[in-house]
Amino acid sequence: MDFSLQPDSPEISAFRQEVRAWLAENMKGSEHLRWSGNWSTRENAEEYKFRRALAGKLGAKRWLFPTYPVKYGGAGMSLDHQFVLETEIDKYGLSLGSVFYTLSRLVAPALMKFGTEEQKAEFLPPMMGGELAVWQVLTEPQGGSDVANCQTKAIRDGDDYIVNGQKVLVGHHLPPDFLWTFVCTNPAGKRHENLGWLYIPATLPGITIQHMHLMMGIKNAIFFDNVRVPAKYLVGGENNGWKVANSYLELEHGGGGSVAEHPLFARLIAHCQRTNFDGESLMEDQDVRDVLAEMLIDLDVQRLMGLRNFWHRYVKQPHSYGGPQFLFLQRMVRLRNAERVQKICGYDALNPDDSVHEVADFEYTVRSGPGWLHGGGTLDTDRLIIARRLGLGRPSQEDAPTTV
Amino acid sequence: MDLKLNDDQNMMKKVAADFLKAEAPSHVITDWYQKKIAHLPEIYKKTAGVGWLGMTLPDEFGGGGSSATDCGVVFEELGRGPLPGPFFSCGVLAAQILLDGGSAAQQKAWLPKICDGSAIVIPALSDDPIQFGPKSVATRATKSASGFTLSGTKRYVQDGDAASHFICAARTDSGGVILALVDRQAPGVAVKAVSGFMIGAAEVSFTNVAVGADALIGALDEGWPVVLAALTKALPILCAYQVGACQEIFEMTNEYTRTRVVFGQPIGRFQRVQDHCVDISIHLDGARWITYETLWKLDSGIAATAGAHQSKAVASEAYYQSCHFAHMVFAGAGTDYKHPLMAHSVLAHALYQYLGTPLFHKRAMIDAMYPRKTA
Repeated sequence: MDFSLQPDSPEISAFRQEVRAWLAENMKGSEHLRWSGNWSTRENAEEYKFRRALAGKLGAKRWLFPTYPVKYGGAGMSLDHQFVLETEIDKYGLSLGSVFYTLSRLVAPALMKFGTEEQKAEFLPPMMGGELAVWQVLTEPQGGSDVANCQTKAIRDGDDYIVNGQKVLVGHHLPPDFLWTFVCTNPAGKRHENLGWLYIPATLPGITIQHMHLMMGIKNAIFFDNVRVPAKYLVGGENNGWKVANSYLELEHGGGGSVAEHPLFARLIAHCQRTNFDGESLMEDQDVRDVLAEMLIDLDVQRLMGLRNFWHRYVKQPHSYGGPQFLFLQRMVRLRNAERVQKICGYDALNPDDSVHEVADFEYTVRSGPGWLHGGGTLDTDRLIIARRLGLGRPSQEDAPTTV
Repeated sequence: MDLKLNDDQNMMKKVAADFLKAEAPSHVITDWYQKKIAHLPEIYKKTAGVGWLGMTLPDEFGGGGSSATDCGVVFEELGRGPLPGPFFSCGVLAAQILLDGGSAAQQKAWLPKICDGSAIVIPALSDDPIQFGPKSVATRATKSASGFTLSGTKRYVQDGDAASHFICAARTDSGGVILALVDRQAPGVAVKAVSGFMIGAAEVSFTNVAVGADALIGALDEGWPVVLAALTKALPILCAYQVGACQEIFEMTNEYTRTRVVFGQPIGRFQRVQDHCVDISIHLDGARWITYETLWKLDSGIAATAGAHQSKAVASEAYYQSCHFAHMVFAGAGTDYKHPLMAHSVLAHALYQYLGTPLFHKRAMIDAMYPRKTA
């Protein structure tokens, strides 16, 4: 076994130097900006602008989707190159999948698998070039975890689909370019066989986007009022949306894996080292040290399960229950860390500190505990999926879908 | 990065699985645990023949020269049994203590015997049952004309009754700890098996036991650092054994959810039952990957002290908790000593204590990473 993330072949090491130098140059001007690796809840327009521009530059270098085919905007590089890019950009608190808020990292693989040649040629290059913000738009007011109970209708009318309905709890504080969504294409059809997948330009007439103010920041409700979507935006064929969903959601549900180190622990150690109470550094307090030990173990287990999933994905041998297991663990670790940070920091744990990246911020950590118990399903749907993959109480085990 | 076993390791794994199937099938192991049989001399000898004793020792001492990961792969399979015997305590830990701290003469005299199974050397470290560590060493080593006189009682020595020799940790008059190699047959040594909700432990007492100066392993009063260094290399292999045990419990429990029918359906259709299996999966995989990352560090020359403590904390807790979650699923049937879960349940409690509890190792992990100013 080899857990090393630092491949040391001469070619790779030269590439690492190149990436490092490029990032040092192109991250200039961001020193005062602080962000989260995923979805900023601080609604800072300057941060968003910088990150979008950075994504565009990375995309122009073909480094956002380095292992994807050149003809679709990737670089046709190796997994080792991807490691280099992921680990180097991680040093700036970002990851390739979330340089700015877009779900391209999930949408592009699904398009690769289910898109027609025309769709790939049209949709992928701008996506891989980092030019587009794509929102995943799945949850409906009555649906929640029951994604297949989709009430947003898309009825064929000539060369278009006419879309009517509502999605909630989606997106970001600034508007998107495309919506990646699930619609009911055959209201009379059987469950799981009545769905279609649409890639919808967000500026089409009839689309209204309204902010929702949530524990984790701004999300949106989206209303479709007789929106005419050209049929060429249907992905995966007529009434085949559930198949797209299965493969696609596996990535969202942890199957994509991760190579990132969590910055929270290092920051908490630094806080304890410089904070005194009753004449003694917090680092000398046995109770504090015990809490830190529990937290480190949780974060290491989470890191290693992320690494395991990453590896399984790239050798194209999906881990049967690894995706939902990672997601469930991550939710529980967040919840436990939320309390640990409160135990150690006191009131300060409830007060945001804008001088640090959001993922390392104690207040964000505290909110993330309850705030991320849902998102891509709930902790209970995670466990349901694990149970099916393990075949608990069933004669056979459900396979993990192959991801791209 | 490559997270799969190599071909050799897959073969070793298969050899170990076949060995268990032939020599120690589940129902036989269950019976041994019920009868508190913790050492099977014939099986132990056979494992020497397959090369599982002193696997990581250099060839010159009769060892296999294997990597820590190779050894972990084999121990993971043994843990599925869980095959009882001093495979770890002698074949890994005592071997490592002698390799790290022993003189050239001691290595030459003892390591080949450990590898061929003719000597079973068992570390007898803590006296105090409350906690593992140098503070728990209470047996006295009093200077004598030819060496030391040992007096004291180690209340719980894992695999103590299997021993032909002990590595006894004792406190000298200056307050330091020495390690002394003691023949079990030496006058003043007494071994008494301990029964209870555990297996393999014995009380070992030393009453005015005379040992020569040449019995010392490592320098005078510098015994504990030798133990610590050996633990860093040895603990992850014990953890692999516990990972194997968790894997067995996981599969056994999952299978039961398919076959056990109540209220007209397999119990695996009940979400609360599913939750117990999910919890086992997380303990199992957490222990697995923490352990294998540490084994990889050992094989790659990366500092692994904190990782070894972390592995022991996580794997012992995982084994203990996996048993508990399995008990939730198996309920009454699983508490019968004739049920395979009981062997694991008893052993998990013993290994929770063995060489330090999870709390002890969590603290040792943090101490290794962030030493305290006021030690």
